[in-house]
Order: sequence, then structure tokens, then C-alpha cells
Amino acid sequence: MNKIVKLTIVLFLVCAIVAGVLGVVNAFTKDRIEEQNRIKTEKAYAAVLASDNGYTEVSFDKTAFPTVDSINECNNGAGWVVTTTFSGAQGSITMAVGVDTDYKCTGISIISHSETSGLGAVAASTSQAGMDFRAQFVGQDEAIALTKAGGEINAITGATITSKSVTEATSVAIKAAESLG
Amino acid sequence: MNIKKQFKEGLITNNPVLVQQIGMCATMAITTTLFNGVGMGLSVLIILTCCNVVISAIRKIIPDEIRLAIFVVVIAGFVTIVDLLLQAFVPALSSALGVFIPLIVVNCIIIGRAEAFCQKMPVGASFWDGIFQGIGYTCVLIIMCVVRELLGSGRFGGGLIDIANGFRFTLDGTGGGIQIFPETFGASILSLPFGGFLTLGVLIAVMQYALKKSAKKQELAEKAEKEAEE
Repeated sequence: MNKIVKLTIVLFLVCAIVAGVLGVVNAFTKDRIEEQNRIKTEKAYAAVLASDNGYTEVSFDKTAFPTVDSINECNNGAGWVVTTTFSGAQGSITMAVGVDTDYKCTGISIISHSETSGLGAVAASTSQAGMDFRAQFVGQDEAIALTKAGGEINAITGATITSKSVTEATSVAIKAAESLG
Repeated sequence: MNIKKQFKEGLITNNPVLVQQIGMCATMAITTTLFNGVGMGLSVLIILTCCNVVISAIRKIIPDEIRLAIFVVVIAGFVTIVDLLLQAFVPALSSALGVFIPLIVVNCIIIGRAEAFCQKMPVGASFWDGIFQGIGYTCVLIIMCVVRELLGSGRFGGGLIDIANGFRFTLDGTGGGIQIFPETFGASILSLPFGGFLTLGVLIAVMQYALKKSAKKQELAEKAEKEAEE
């Protein structure tokens, strides 16, 4: 009995100390991580659809588009930036999609993901292959699909699932913008 | 145990990847660009050294029955610290390595060294063990990155070196690397996980050959010495 109590206390103490240290590190890095994420998000918005005087979040039907996080209307009337979170090949992907007033995609930008490095991660990378992949989305409408499914988007080599989910999410994002009417 | 011997063990005779053959999952998965390799190697080196020191320091108060649980808690703590610091200060590396940073928690190198070395050895020796095993791991990653990047896409130093505006090191992972031959001539299969298996297999074979050869040499030398004595 004594032994069990001792084991419990030791394990508890170790966990408590580790938790304390992590709390300190978290407090120290939290603001910076938030700042990095904010910069990333802003850059992603500007990359897909530039607006010289910012964005205003508008409400939409969340039950019809469960994967859409937010729709941000450009204050200069150029269109909308739709942010969406959906499943990729490994984990969830968060992406910004620019939609112009003709409901055509003006570009996509992946904000965060956990795809395989060198394969699915190409979709978000700054490499030539990544830029080529994302460039295909410009000018597409809600019927966007991979070449395999009869569309015009060439999938990334070795990353069909990532390519497919990004393409489908873009289609959903455009539909979400259309639903605003 | 002297430092020189530990150095040799970490890098060559008891190299974590090539001889102990542990920690291979991340090794094969992330060695696609030099930037990833160096970043992952250094992260593991730092975490391994910290864990080794802490586990060795508390080895006398850890009850044997729950040692694994305590190892995992300590390791997870350090991994989370490194993960948060990377997210805050090197976001490019954090997004390139993705899930493989949190996965260091279950990297067998760290728990393996804790179990096999640190729970019996003093703090000093454990510290050096962490450094040298970490360097050994980093070296293997760098070799694999260079081979796979060169043969796979004809590049050297992707993410880490930029020559577009004169030679410079890019620590934010934006450098394009040095294109040695056009990307289309590369065997892109080497950039896929499959290529990781191939590269690692060849490296292990070379290592075993070299180790066997040097062992034979030593044996012959000892024999000759004995004969000379007689």
C-alpha cells in the first residue's frame, strides 16, 4: 500500500513540475505565436484577393457549409475571402480562398496543415511545384475538379488525396460565397 | 567512460540510426530538403541532451516500476517546449516539419537512450551521450537529405541556401537551394517515402561493410602482434 502511495506521489510531482514549466513557456511564447498566426492569416488573405482597405466578416449559413470558418468581404467590393478548415490526407487543413464578384476563384492560400513533408505539403509550399499547383485554381468556378474527375486541376504527384480535398474545399468555398447572394 | 569513446560511439560504432536502427520513421519521412534535415536534427539534439541530463539527474529517485511513465512525461515536456519555441520563432521550420516535431515524444532514440544509458550513468556522461548521439543522428539526416535532394530534384541545400541574390543562408526556409542539374532529370522517386527506404538501406549497408572491415583489420593487427610476441 505504502509503495503505491509513493509511486503516485513521485509521478504526480514529476507531472506537476513539467506542467509548471510548460505553463511558463506557454505564457512566454503565446503572444508571439498568435502574432505569427495573425501575420500568416493576413498574408494569406492578401495573397488570394487584395483589398486596400481591409476586410469585414459577414455572417453566413453555417449549417449548410460546416467546413467554412468565416467569410470576409473585401471593403473595396472586389469579392470575398472565404476561410475553410477541412480534412486533408493527414490532418485538417486551413485555407483561404479568394472569390471575386463573378464567383470565380482568384487564388488559394493554405494557412496551416499537417500534410506529409515533400508530398502533400507541396500544396502549401513556396516551391515551383507548389506555386504551379495553386496557380491552376485561379479563374475556376464552383465546378472545379481534378483532371481525374473531369476537371482541369492536375493533382500533385504522390499527393492525390491532398489535391482532391483542396479542390473540393475550394468548390465549397465558392458555393458558400454564392449563397450570400 | 571517456568522451572520446562516446564521440566515436555516437557518430560511428553505435550510431542511433545506422547501427542501433532506431528513430527511422522520422528519418525517412522528413529528409527531403536540407532545411528539414538540419532543423529536425538540431531539434532532436537539443531535446535528447536536455532529457538525458534531467533523467540522469533524477535517476536515483525514479522508482523502477514507473520509470517509463516518468521518461515519457519528461520527454513530452521538452518536446512541447521546443515545439512552442519553433512556432514562435521559426514558423517556417515548424510548418515544414509539421507533425514530426510532436512525434519526437515517441522517437525511440530518446526513450532508448534514457532506458539504455541515462538511468545508469552520471549526469556528465549522459550530457555527452546526448550531444554525440544527437550529432550522429543529425549527420545521418544531413547525408540522407543531400543524397535525396540531389538525386531526386537536382538541388543542394533547399530552404537553407539562397543564391538568387548572391550566396546567403536563409534561416526562414525560403531559399531555393543551388540547382545542380535541371529538376526534370531527377529521379523524383527518391523524394517519396520509398526513396527514403532505399537511401537508408544503402547507407546502413555501407556502414555495416565499413564496420566489419575495420573489425577484421583490428583482428589481424592483434594476431600479428601476438605472433610477433611469440
